[in-house]
Amino acid sequence: MRKPDLNTRLAVTGAGIICSIGRNQGEVWQSICESRAGIGKLTRFPGETFPTDIAAEVIGEIGPMLPIGKREARRLSRTDLLAVVAAREAIEQANDGAKSPLPVARAIVSTGTSTGGLLEGEEYYFKRLVVGRRRAPASRVLQQPTSGPSDAVARVFKLGGGVVSNATACASAGAAIGMAADYLRSHHADVAIAGGSDALCRLTYSGFNVLQAVDPSPCTPFAADRKGITLGEGAAYLVLERWDDAVARGATILAELGGYGASCDAHHATAPAEDGRGAEAAMRGALSESGATSVDYINAHGTGTLLNDSAETKAIISAVGTATPVSSSKSYFGHTLGASGGIEAVISILALLHQTAPPTLRLETPAADCPLDYIAHTPRPMPLRSVLSNTFGFGGSNVSLLFRRV
Amino acid sequence: MTRVPITAIGVVAPGAIGIDAFRDFLKAGATAIQVVDRFDTAGLRSHQAALVRDFIPRDFIALMKLRRMNMLSRYALSAARLALRDGGVEQLDAATGVAMGTAFGPVQTSVDYMQEYVERGAALAPPQLFAESVANAPGSHIAIELGLRGFNVTLTQRESSALSAAMYAASQIVKGNVRTAVIGGVEEVNEMIFSVLDRLRALGEASHPFDRCRSGLILGEGGAVFLAGETPGQRYGFLSGFGMARDTTATVSDWGEDPNAVVAAMRSAIDDAALEPRDIDAIYASANSTRRADRLEYLALQSLFGDAVPPVVATKGYFGEYAAGGGLQLAAALVALRDQALHPSSGFEQGDESMRIAVNREYRPATLRHILVNSISAGGGVVCAVLSA
Repeated sequence: MRKPDLNTRLAVTGAGIICSIGRNQGEVWQSICESRAGIGKLTRFPGETFPTDIAAEVIGEIGPMLPIGKREARRLSRTDLLAVVAAREAIEQANDGAKSPLPVARAIVSTGTSTGGLLEGEEYYFKRLVVGRRRAPASRVLQQPTSGPSDAVARVFKLGGGVVSNATACASAGAAIGMAADYLRSHHADVAIAGGSDALCRLTYSGFNVLQAVDPSPCTPFAADRKGITLGEGAAYLVLERWDDAVARGATILAELGGYGASCDAHHATAPAEDGRGAEAAMRGALSESGATSVDYINAHGTGTLLNDSAETKAIISAVGTATPVSSSKSYFGHTLGASGGIEAVISILALLHQTAPPTLRLETPAADCPLDYIAHTPRPMPLRSVLSNTFGFGGSNVSLLFRRV
Repeated sequence: MTRVPITAIGVVAPGAIGIDAFRDFLKAGATAIQVVDRFDTAGLRSHQAALVRDFIPRDFIALMKLRRMNMLSRYALSAARLALRDGGVEQLDAATGVAMGTAFGPVQTSVDYMQEYVERGAALAPPQLFAESVANAPGSHIAIELGLRGFNVTLTQRESSALSAAMYAASQIVKGNVRTAVIGGVEEVNEMIFSVLDRLRALGEASHPFDRCRSGLILGEGGAVFLAGETPGQRYGFLSGFGMARDTTATVSDWGEDPNAVVAAMRSAIDDAALEPRDIDAIYASANSTRRADRLEYLALQSLFGDAVPPVVATKGYFGEYAAGGGLQLAAALVALRDQALHPSSGFEQGDESMRIAVNREYRPATLRHILVNSISAGGGVVCAVLSA
C-alpha cells in the first residue's frame, strides 16, 4: 500500500459555504465582521411542539443556487442540496483564474454528515402512518442514506475519483477532510472535494432537547451562564490538492492544510471526557502532523454546553497553554452537527485570509472553568499564521485540523 | 509497513456466530437466506432475507450495558469480542483506532424514536434512543468497552462501507499514525428498509449472483470485526492495496452502466499493491444478484483481465447484500486466503450465457497469493481491495 507521505504539502484552492449567516464566503464573512448572528425562530417544522423554539436555519429557496434542474433536485435530500450549493462555490473558486481546470476523473468527494436525508425519512414515516406502506412514496427514502451528499456532489460535477462518506456524528466533516488529506498524500486521489453537510430535522431537534442540551436562547459558548447548544444547518466544502499540482495548475492557493489529528475519548456515548483528554490528543495530533508547537488562534468546537466548553478549555490549556486566543463561531450559526467541521474549517480559512479572528457573540462573562483569552463580541484583527479548528462528536470522536496562511 | 496484517476475525453472521462456524458455513456452500419471520412481509414481492439467528447478546455484553445498545451496537461489540477471542488477545493497545462501516446505519432506532415522538411527544422521546440514533454508536461502544483512544470513524458508503473502513484504517497503520486498528462493519435488516427496497423492486425472490435467473438482491445483516496491524493472533492475510472510483453514469440511488469506473478501481487497487492483473489468483466479487450490477462487474472483469479472468467467487448467495456493511464478503475472502481454498458460489446454478466467466461452484484447494475483493455501490461508488497471503 502506498503510504500517506507527510512531506506532501496540501493546498486549499477552493472553499464553499452555506449556513444561516450567508450563502457564500462573501455573505458569511460580512456577517462575521458585522457580528450578526443567524439565529431566529424555528420555522422548519410548523405544528411541532418542542421545549425550545429557536434555530439557525438556512432561510429561503436553495433551488436558484443549484446547477441542476428541478426534476433532478427533487431526487435529492435537503442535506444533499446544501452540499451541492457549497461544493459548487468551492469548485468554481478552485477553477477561477487557473491555467487548467480540476482533473475531475481522479477527484474524490469526501463528505461527513450526521443525519443525511433523515428529514425526508421523517416525512416518509409520517406519510406511511397515514396511508400505509403500500401507498407511501418510497422513492423519498432513497434520499436517506448518509452516502447521499457525496454521491450527489460527485454526480452533479461528474467527479470520477471515488466517494468517501462518513457519519461520525458531529466530528464527521473534520474526519472527511482528514481522510481526504491522507488519500491525496497517498496518491489514491489527485483532488478532493471535502467537507460536510447537514439539514435540520425533527429527530435531532427533539433529541438534543430530550437530552436537555439545547439553550432556549441563542447559545453563549464559554459563558458562565451557558445553557447548551443552538441547532443549525448548512454545508461547506474545501477543494484540496497536492501543493505542487495546485501550483502547476496555476490555481490560487487560499491556505495550507498542515495536518490533522483524530482521537476518541472512549468515555461515554454522548458526554465528553471531563478532563478533555481526547480533545487534547486530537489537537496534539494536528500540531505534530503539521510540525507546529503552537497556533495563533483556535476556532473551538465551543458548543455552549457545560461539559464541552469546560473539557475543551482544559484540553486547549494542556495542548497549547493559555495564551492562544479562542472563539466559537457557533454563536453565529449554531451547531451544524455533521457539517460543523467543514463550516468551521472555512471560517478558519477566511480568518487567515482576512487576518482577523472571529468572536464569540454574546459572551459577557466567561465561566470560572473557562479561563482563556476568548475573543468576544467583535472580530479581532491580528496576525494569523496558523489556525486550529476543533470538531468533536457523540461517542467521543475528536478531530482537529490545522490550517496555515500562504 | 506497506501491507497490513489481519490477525483475527469475529463475526455475528447469518448462519454462523464466530469465525470457525463461519468457515464451516462457507465450506458447505449453504445459504442463510430464509423466509423473513422478524416482521410481516405480506403484500410485498420479496419474502427472503439473511437474518442473524441464535445470537445471544448476553454471551458477550453485560445485561446492564445491553439495555443501552441497539442491535447494531450489539452486533458490533459482540463481533469485536469474538475477534479478540479469535486472536487470543486480552487487551488491545489504548492507541488503537477504530473504523467501522455501515450502509444504512441505525434506521430501526430512528423509526423507534419517531414512534415514541409521535406517541409521547417531541419532548418526551427516550434520550437513550437518541444516543443510539447516530451511525457511529457501534464504533463508539467498541472504543468505550475496549478502551481504544485512537481515531474513531464510521464510513457509510453503502455496499462499500466495510471496505471503505478497511481502506482508511489501513492507511492510518501504514502512515504510522497507529500500530493497530479495529476494522468492522455492521448492518441490520429491518422492516423499513426491506419494504422500501421491495417497493422499488430492488429485492429479488432469491439470490443468484451472475446467474441468468437473478432478479434482485437479498438483504443481509450482522457484524464483522477484524484486528489489523501489530496484534497477536494468527495471520489470515494482508491488506495490500486499495482503489476507488465512481461511475459518473450512476444516479444517486442506482448502479451505473460504465464498467470503466470498476476497471479503474480494480486497477488502482492492484497498482497500490505493486502487482499486475496476472498476479491476482481469485476474485471475491461484488455480485449481488441484480441484473445491472452483476453485468457491470462482468464487463469490467472482461475488460481488465481479458481471456484470463481468475476464478470468481460470489458470496452474496450465502448471506445477502449489505451483510455486516460488506464485512462478511471481506471475511470470506480472508478465510479463503488463510485456508488456501476457494468457496463455492452459493446460489449460482445455471450461469448466464452472456457472461462467460469461471464462477467457482465447489469448495476446492487453490494456491492463493492475492485475492481481489470488489464492492460496487448503488450511487456509483466503487471500492476494491487486494488481499495477499
